[in-house]
Amino acid sequence: MPPQMPPGGLIQLQVAQPAVDVSSPVTATAAFDPPIVRAGEKTFYRVNVEATESSIQWPEEISAPAEFKFGANARGQITQFLGNKYRSLTTFIYEVRPAAAGHFAITNFTVNTAGQPVEIPAASLDVVADSTNSQPARQLVLETSATNIFLGQPFRVRVLLPAWPANEIEALREVQLNGDGLMTDKTALRQSIEVACVNGQLKPAFICEMTVTPITPGPLKFSAQGFTAGREFTGPISIHGQVTLPGGPAKYVLLVSEPVEINVRPLPAEGERPGFTGAIGKFFRDPPHLSTHRMRVGEPVSLKVVFHGEGDLTRFMPPAPPRSRDWQIIADPPPATGFTLIPQTDETSNTPAIPFCYFDPATAKYVNLTIPSLPVTVVGEGLPVQLPAADDAAESAAPLKLSDLAPTPGKTVASLKPLQLRGWFVGVQLLPVIGFLALWQWDRRRRFFEAHPEIVRRLQACRALRQKKRQLQKAVAGGDAAALIQHAADAMKIAVAPHFPAQPQALVCADVLAQLNDAERYGRVGETVGKIFAAADARFAAKPPAPADWLALHADVETVLQKLEEKL
Amino acid sequence: MKLRHFIFLASLFCVIENSRAAENKFFAQGVEAYRAGQFPEAAMAFEQSAQISPAAGTLVNLGIAQWQRGHAGAAILAWEQARWIDPFDSRASANLKFARQVAQVDPPQLKWFETASTWLPPNAWVWLAGASLWLAVGALVLPGIFRRRKSGWHQTLASLAGGFFIFSLTASLGVVSRAQTGFVVKKNAPLRLTPTRDSEVVSTLTAGEPARRLRVGGNYFFIRTAGGAGWVVRDEFKLLGGE
Repeated sequence: MPPQMPPGGLIQLQVAQPAVDVSSPVTATAAFDPPIVRAGEKTFYRVNVEATESSIQWPEEISAPAEFKFGANARGQITQFLGNKYRSLTTFIYEVRPAAAGHFAITNFTVNTAGQPVEIPAASLDVVADSTNSQPARQLVLETSATNIFLGQPFRVRVLLPAWPANEIEALREVQLNGDGLMTDKTALRQSIEVACVNGQLKPAFICEMTVTPITPGPLKFSAQGFTAGREFTGPISIHGQVTLPGGPAKYVLLVSEPVEINVRPLPAEGERPGFTGAIGKFFRDPPHLSTHRMRVGEPVSLKVVFHGEGDLTRFMPPAPPRSRDWQIIADPPPATGFTLIPQTDETSNTPAIPFCYFDPATAKYVNLTIPSLPVTVVGEGLPVQLPAADDAAESAAPLKLSDLAPTPGKTVASLKPLQLRGWFVGVQLLPVIGFLALWQWDRRRRFFEAHPEIVRRLQACRALRQKKRQLQKAVAGGDAAALIQHAADAMKIAVAPHFPAQPQALVCADVLAQLNDAERYGRVGETVGKIFAAADARFAAKPPAPADWLALHADVETVLQKLEEKL
Repeated sequence: MKLRHFIFLASLFCVIENSRAAENKFFAQGVEAYRAGQFPEAAMAFEQSAQISPAAGTLVNLGIAQWQRGHAGAAILAWEQARWIDPFDSRASANLKFARQVAQVDPPQLKWFETASTWLPPNAWVWLAGASLWLAVGALVLPGIFRRRKSGWHQTLASLAGGFFIFSLTASLGVVSRAQTGFVVKKNAPLRLTPTRDSEVVSTLTAGEPARRLRVGGNYFFIRTAGGAGWVVRDEFKLLGGE
């Protein structure tokens, strides 16, 4: 059980804290570090004001000798603990390079601090032509893990405070980077004391390591600053080797580093895949694991996805949950990289694929790391299959439970679409219409022939004549002269029979000749008719003539039949 | 020529037999899956069987599987379609009554000629209409064509067939009209003011609620329910007689 705070405990806790000193008069100091330098050597003009940075109206430019060449400047604020009170300390620092030897001074001047004038005392600098004893200005050392990087690619920055003097290690506080286009992640700050190579020399140093992400493309220049803080180490620190710590109260001195330049390249636009969240580096993914593969609609399941990577993963952005009609997808709160999936329907059989890719700066390419879909079985929310028995008579009319399965498919249809709406059915309805029309046509024709029997006779004679002609051809082909004569005579009788009208068997040669005009009757046609009938009648003679030349009449018979047919 | 006819008939027979075998295979799979408690698989198998050849028993089973999955709308639609094929199917009728009592939805409101159309299967009416029409026409026309004397029974048959034709024609119109009724298959389906995705929602429809399709607009149906008219997405509303 958590400890209970007594009533008013929060106020007591606040009262017990050291007060912030705002009543003491604001004091200021100014000095050159180091105070003696050679001409052209770097020194720092440092002004300390015991007030908050925001309360000081610091001038844009300060009056200085013309021999001074000003470089980069910085400012910083730290809260110092003096006795039993906190007090702010603000430091302004300028890099100065004197051009000539001599004794120089920056005269005192006044700045406005929280509405009160505060005098900044004068500071003097001795610039000598040559000095073997002069010590270089104390500075921080700034190191970066890479200088040619991609936009958004995190890289490590190390700020080193080398031991000074006599190998004493001091802590560094309020470390910050000065420069545009960088995002510093102080949550991943690491502090250590170890031996480092500084200006070619191995010496112990306080190292502050942080992750920085460039947010602007192009060349970027930045430097580091921080206050020395004696033994005031804040946060966890790892110490390697033997360390000498300074005694006495902390002396807060704002130090700066030399600037460092890096080149930031923009990410290539081509090849970018869906699901890019800004992850840059080299990452790997374990196979996704689903808490269960069988679930009900609305039941949340956990999709665990573990990503590995080379280097720092604190700023790793997991894939964003995609929108899905069948699934509600909720990303687990960072730093977890899993998802909670809730099926919205039982018609889905796979989890949604979650697109993700990262940019590999080593190959300068995007790499697909999409979380694949996994097979699942989603069971719907069941409905009741049985109802309790109702007392109400009206209610009891309805069945109380669902029926059993039908054992067979039962009555089958080709389609649920009714026949009336199908085109072929309309076509089928035309069949009876066609049938009735055919019947009507047949009846009309029949009535017509009844009214005109001569047409029927002619038609019958034509049909019989065609048949006789075929038999005639067969007889000629077979060399059967008797058959030729018989069929020729019959054909002539058939051809003239409708003109009388009479049965063909009842006709004789004169009847055939009667149907010919005079020219035909007394010409070759008439002669042929006579010969044919004479030959036909000769069958009944006691001694029939020799039939040798009758086959030669075939062509004349054809002519006679053609003429008779024309008259039919 | 005869060989060609024989090959054609044999191929037709094979296709029909294969189709029937596939239908029976899916039906058996559905029954098996249902008995194993795998209702989604059962519903899928019955649906495939019904797609090959819609059958009353298959649709009854499809409805039962859908009901077990919690899809009340799809279940009611399947049972209504089973009754559409076979109005005398007692399982479908009993399940519909049960489902409507549980889901608290009303059956569709039918006009008198639509009610008459439910007495027989839809296709029976249209065949009856066709047969009675030509019977009446034949009774009037054929005696004259075949030179038979028109007798009293010819007249009686013609008038009876004519009367039956008029009635069955009305029932057929009821079938056509009833084919435009459908059921909401998705739970809480939105009824929209316009056929657009971002349209204002007029009301929310219950699964299994009947409605009448009036118009089609893109991916939407304009329907009239007991509570009002509006547009609904095609997937969320299925017609009794299919599309």
